Amino acid sequence: MPEKRSVLAALTLVLLASFLVLAQEEQRGGQQGRPQPQHHPMSFFVTSVGLGKGGDLGGLAGADAHCMALATAVGAGNHTWHAYLSTQARPGQPAVNARDRIGTGPWYNTSRSQLGQPQNANISQDLGELHGDTLIQAQRGSNLFKQSARTEKGEVIHGVGDPPPIEHDILTGSQTDGRAYTDKADHTCNNWTSSGAGSAQVGHSDRIGNENASWNSSHATTGCSQAALESTGGSGLFYCFAVN
Amino acid sequence: MRKARSLAIAFTAPSFLASCFLLAQQNPAPRHPMNFFVTSSPIGDGGNLGGLAGADAHCQTLASAVGAGNHTWHAYLSTQARPGQPAVNARDRIGTGPWYNVKGEMIAPDLAHLHGDTLELARLGNNLNKLTGLTEKGETVPGLYDYADVRDNDWDYVKTTPFSNRHEMLTGSQPDGRAFTDSVDHTCNNWTSNKDPEPGTANGNLNAPDGRPNAQIGFPDRNGGGNGSWNSSHGTRGCSQESLPKTHGVGMFYCFAIN
Repeated sequence: MPEKRSVLAALTLVLLASFLVLAQEEQRGGQQGRPQPQHHPMSFFVTSVGLGKGGDLGGLAGADAHCMALATAVGAGNHTWHAYLSTQARPGQPAVNARDRIGTGPWYNTSRSQLGQPQNANISQDLGELHGDTLIQAQRGSNLFKQSARTEKGEVIHGVGDPPPIEHDILTGSQTDGRAYTDKADHTCNNWTSSGAGSAQVGHSDRIGNENASWNSSHATTGCSQAALESTGGSGLFYCFAVN
Repeated sequence: MRKARSLAIAFTAPSFLASCFLLAQQNPAPRHPMNFFVTSSPIGDGGNLGGLAGADAHCQTLASAVGAGNHTWHAYLSTQARPGQPAVNARDRIGTGPWYNVKGEMIAPDLAHLHGDTLELARLGNNLNKLTGLTEKGETVPGLYDYADVRDNDWDYVKTTPFSNRHEMLTGSQPDGRAFTDSVDHTCNNWTSNKDPEPGTANGNLNAPDGRPNAQIGFPDRNGGGNGSWNSSHGTRGCSQESLPKTHGVGMFYCFAIN
């Protein structure tokens, strides 16, 4: 009998607790309809610094390691980080598409909301939204724009109109759909090993420049040296995504 | 005779030199006259713009005030179909481009680039952004994170604070620049309504599936709304002037010259 009673008490407690949780949820959703920021761990950032050697990132492996090192420095090393970079096909070596390297989303940045609270804003729900796989998705665009494309420290990248240095040219080596180029021209600084000859396709973190608004495929760099990258508003930064 | 010649030299030489100098100073490309701008001020009655005619007149007035009244100006606004009255698509009202802002910067070369009619064009996007989306006076439209203040949502504050966020442009349009075809209000009743939802019906969904007074908006700074669309990001909380700032708009819109 006492056992039964304690079971009953436990049940009541559980019931009460769930009511409380429900009430809280309702409050959250009902506050003038403004959803309270939910905490999602950072799974997207723009590198706060480049590797300093122009388009030579040490290949994809070197770029991934840079993502991991920067993430680890801010306590986000518990994910597997990949750089958003494509490489072009070589004899015996198939092309790699940036979009195939970054998991399936959703991805969140690390930032502060308008009034200063820490938050993790949604960059995109999935690969389709990020790249605009359908016409309506492409026309609307994703949530990746100047104020959401933050570094791992939550900083905005300086873009057009900001004090120099402008660093909005983000290395991708990709077409607008996130895939590698299939022509013979260099779009990846020789698959991210060249700091001299060649060229890399870049997007704009502020989505301003070259008369388009592309975040991942706006124009080609004039060369692969660090100086060449800096001459058009870049410093060799790239996007990092957590794949898990 | 001698005097006449020296006079001629005295006149022609400097003026010739001066004109060379002027030519050298001039831009190689001729500057394009403004045929696109963001209204520097709203009409001030929320979503009631006096219909398309009232909105067009506002464009024309603002343009005339800066000496650009020699064009025919149309507001970039759609209206929805009503019995006996077909829908009007914003994209069909603005000519064929190219369009330039007050600084002569191109916004888009044509309708297809402006709206992203193909996948590639849509992914690339047009050249409307925070730096090019200028008012007829050449002002930047305050956008996301500019002078962030809690009072940004309060019209009484916003109307006296020109630098507070006001980046939501009324369009009433879908991303392709066409009118909505559902039965929900996306145009504040074809730009004649300044009404708000009945008390207690505001559930936070900005797209008013329940038919609340609502207008679709886009951002010239392309920052916000989960997508950054310049012409179709989300809806408003109502159609009154006081409702528009709750999501960071004041009832401004885009104007295009059609000739």
